[in-house]
Amino acid sequence: MTTAVLPAAAPRSAPLARLLGSELTWVLRRPRTLVMLGVLALIPIVIAIGVTVVADEFADRRGGPGLIGAVAGNGLVLPVASITLALALLLPMAVTTAAADAIAGEAASGTLRGLLLAPVGRLRLVVMKAFGVLVVATLAVLVIAVVGVLAALVVVGAADGQLVTLSGTTIGLAEAMGRLAVVVVWTVGQLAAVGAIALALSSLTEHPMVVLAAVLGGLIVFGVLTAVPALDWLQPYLLTSGWTAGADVLRDPMPWGGLIESSLRALCYTAVGAGLATHRMLRRDA
Amino acid sequence: MAGAVGLGLLALPGGAGAAPELPPVTADELVASVLTADVGAFGGTVELDNALGLPALPGMPQAAAGDSSARVWSDGEGRGRVQLPTDSGERTLVSDGETFWAWNSEDQTVHTAPADKGPAERESAVADPTAAATEALDVLRASSEVRVDGTAEVAGRPAYELVLTPAATERTLLREVRLAVDAEHRVPLRLTVLANGSTEPALQLGFTDLEFGPQDPELFTFTPPPGATVEPAPEDAGRPGGPHGGPLGGKPEGLPDGVEPTIVGDGWDTVAVISGGDLGGALDDPRREGAPEGRPDIDLSALGTPVSGPWGSGTLISTAVASAIITDDGRVAAGAVPEQVLTEALGQ
Repeated sequence: MTTAVLPAAAPRSAPLARLLGSELTWVLRRPRTLVMLGVLALIPIVIAIGVTVVADEFADRRGGPGLIGAVAGNGLVLPVASITLALALLLPMAVTTAAADAIAGEAASGTLRGLLLAPVGRLRLVVMKAFGVLVVATLAVLVIAVVGVLAALVVVGAADGQLVTLSGTTIGLAEAMGRLAVVVVWTVGQLAAVGAIALALSSLTEHPMVVLAAVLGGLIVFGVLTAVPALDWLQPYLLTSGWTAGADVLRDPMPWGGLIESSLRALCYTAVGAGLATHRMLRRDA
Repeated sequence: MAGAVGLGLLALPGGAGAAPELPPVTADELVASVLTADVGAFGGTVELDNALGLPALPGMPQAAAGDSSARVWSDGEGRGRVQLPTDSGERTLVSDGETFWAWNSEDQTVHTAPADKGPAERESAVADPTAAATEALDVLRASSEVRVDGTAEVAGRPAYELVLTPAATERTLLREVRLAVDAEHRVPLRLTVLANGSTEPALQLGFTDLEFGPQDPELFTFTPPPGATVEPAPEDAGRPGGPHGGPLGGKPEGLPDGVEPTIVGDGWDTVAVISGGDLGGALDDPRREGAPEGRPDIDLSALGTPVSGPWGSGTLISTAVASAIITDDGRVAAGAVPEQVLTEALGQ
C-alpha cells in the first residue's frame, strides 16, 4: 500500500523544529539565564582558587574531608566535585527558574494566552517548554564541567595529567573525561526530574515564585526527611537520597548500582511531572 | 500514574522473591559442608545493617546504628581487596600477597605493612561475612540447637537458612543466629543476629551482590598514586582488628598487643575478661574511619550506667545483643550475656 500525499493535508501548525528553535532563542536571550550560567561557571573557579591557596599555605597538610579536600593536587576531581556541590541547590534552582518562567511566567505576563490560542497543539506546547527547560539543565551542567576541567588544568594542576580516584588508583585523562561525561549525563537526568516536577507546578499556577518556592522548599524538606532516622523507609521514594551517587564515578572499579538506581528514580519523577504537566495543559483554559 | 508505580517498584527490597526450591538437606550435612567449603575467588558487595543500639562515637561511624557497605574481592589464595566507601571518600585495603596497603582518601595517605604480619587476613575477615559466619558457626554449634529453616535468596543466589538457637542452659541475650548458606558453593552469604524481645535483626552482615570465579588480577595490586604520602604502618595502624562479633566468636581482636583476654564460660554465654588493657584500645572500633593516629577520647559515663558489686564498681554498657562492664580499676568484661553473667565472670 502506498501513501498518497495530499496537498490539502498540509500541516496546519508550525513544524516542531521551528517551535523548538524559537523557544531556545527565547530561553537563551533571557538575561537571568545567562547570569545564572555565569554564576554556575564561577563555582569551579572559586573552589580551584580556594583549594590552591589553602594548599600553598598548608603545604604539609594534604587533603581533608569531603570531595573538595580531594581536589588538592588532583585537579580532575574538581569538575565532579563542583557538579556534586551545585546539585544540592544551585542547579535545581537554575532549572526551576527556567520551568517557572516557561508556563507560570508566561501566564503572569499574559503571553500564555497567545500561545494557547495559536494554532499549535497543546502537546507540542508542552514538549517545546520541556525542551527549553532541558536545554537550560544541560547547559548549566556543561558549563560547570567545561569550566571545571579548564580550572583543574590551569589553576590546580592534575596529578601527572591523571586522576587519582577515591579508591587510590590512577586513571588516565581519557578515562577521566569519560567518567566526567557519565556524571554529566546522570546529573542532567536528575535535573530533568526536578524540571518535570517544576513544569507540572508551573502549569498549575500563574505565579512563578510559587513554583520556585515549592520546588526549593520541597528539596529542603526531602533533605530534612533524609536526616530523620525513623523515616528511613521513605528514602527510596525521595529524589535527593540518590544524589550522593555522583561521587561514585570517582571510585575504581566504578560502581554503577547507585547511579542506575537514582537515574531510574529520576525517570519515575520525570514521568509523574511530565504526565501531570501534559494533563493540566491539555485542559487549561486560555 | 506510571511514574508513581515505578517509584513503588524501585522501593521494593531487592531479593524479596519467593523462597527458591532446593533439595532437602539435614542440618548436620549443611554444617559439615560449610566448615569444609573452599570459597575460592569471588567479588561482591557486603552490607552491614547495624541495629546494636550503640551510641554514635567519634571516629567510629560503623558502631552507630545504620547501614554501611563494603566492596570485597578475593582471589582465593590470600590476596584480597576491600573498599569501604563513604559519601565523599573511600578507604581501600589491598593485600597483594607480600604487602598490605591501606589507603585513605581523606588524608591521601597510604599505610603499608608486610602481609605476613597477618593484618590482611584479619582485614578480609572484617568485611567478609563468609569468614565471620564460619567462625561463629564453629564456635557456637556445640552449645546450640542447629536446624535448617527453609530457603532464601541472598544476593540473587539460592541459599539454605541455617538457624542456631542457644540451648536452654545458655544465658544469653541472643535469640538466634541465622546463616544463609549458598546452595551451590556452601558458603555463608548472610549472617543475621536476632536478640531476645525483638523481631528486627540486631545485626545483619551479608552480600548484596556476589560473583564467584576469577577476578581481575589488577584488583590485587596497589600502586600509591602520585602525590600520596606513603607511611610504613606503626604497630597499631592499618590493622583495624576483627569482626564486631568479638563476644560471639570469643576471640576479640583489635586489642592492644600484650593484652590477653581471659575467657570465662563457653558457647553463647562466653565472657571475655580483659585486664590491664588500654581502655581506649579495647573500645576501639575495628573499622573506625578516623585517622590511625590518636584515639578518640571517649567519655565512658556518657555511654553507660554506673554499676557496682562485690567485684568493684564500673560502667555498664548494654546494647541489644551484648553488654560490657568497664571497671574503674581498668578491667573489661564483655559478652552476649545479661549483666548478671558479666558480674559473675568479674567475680571469679
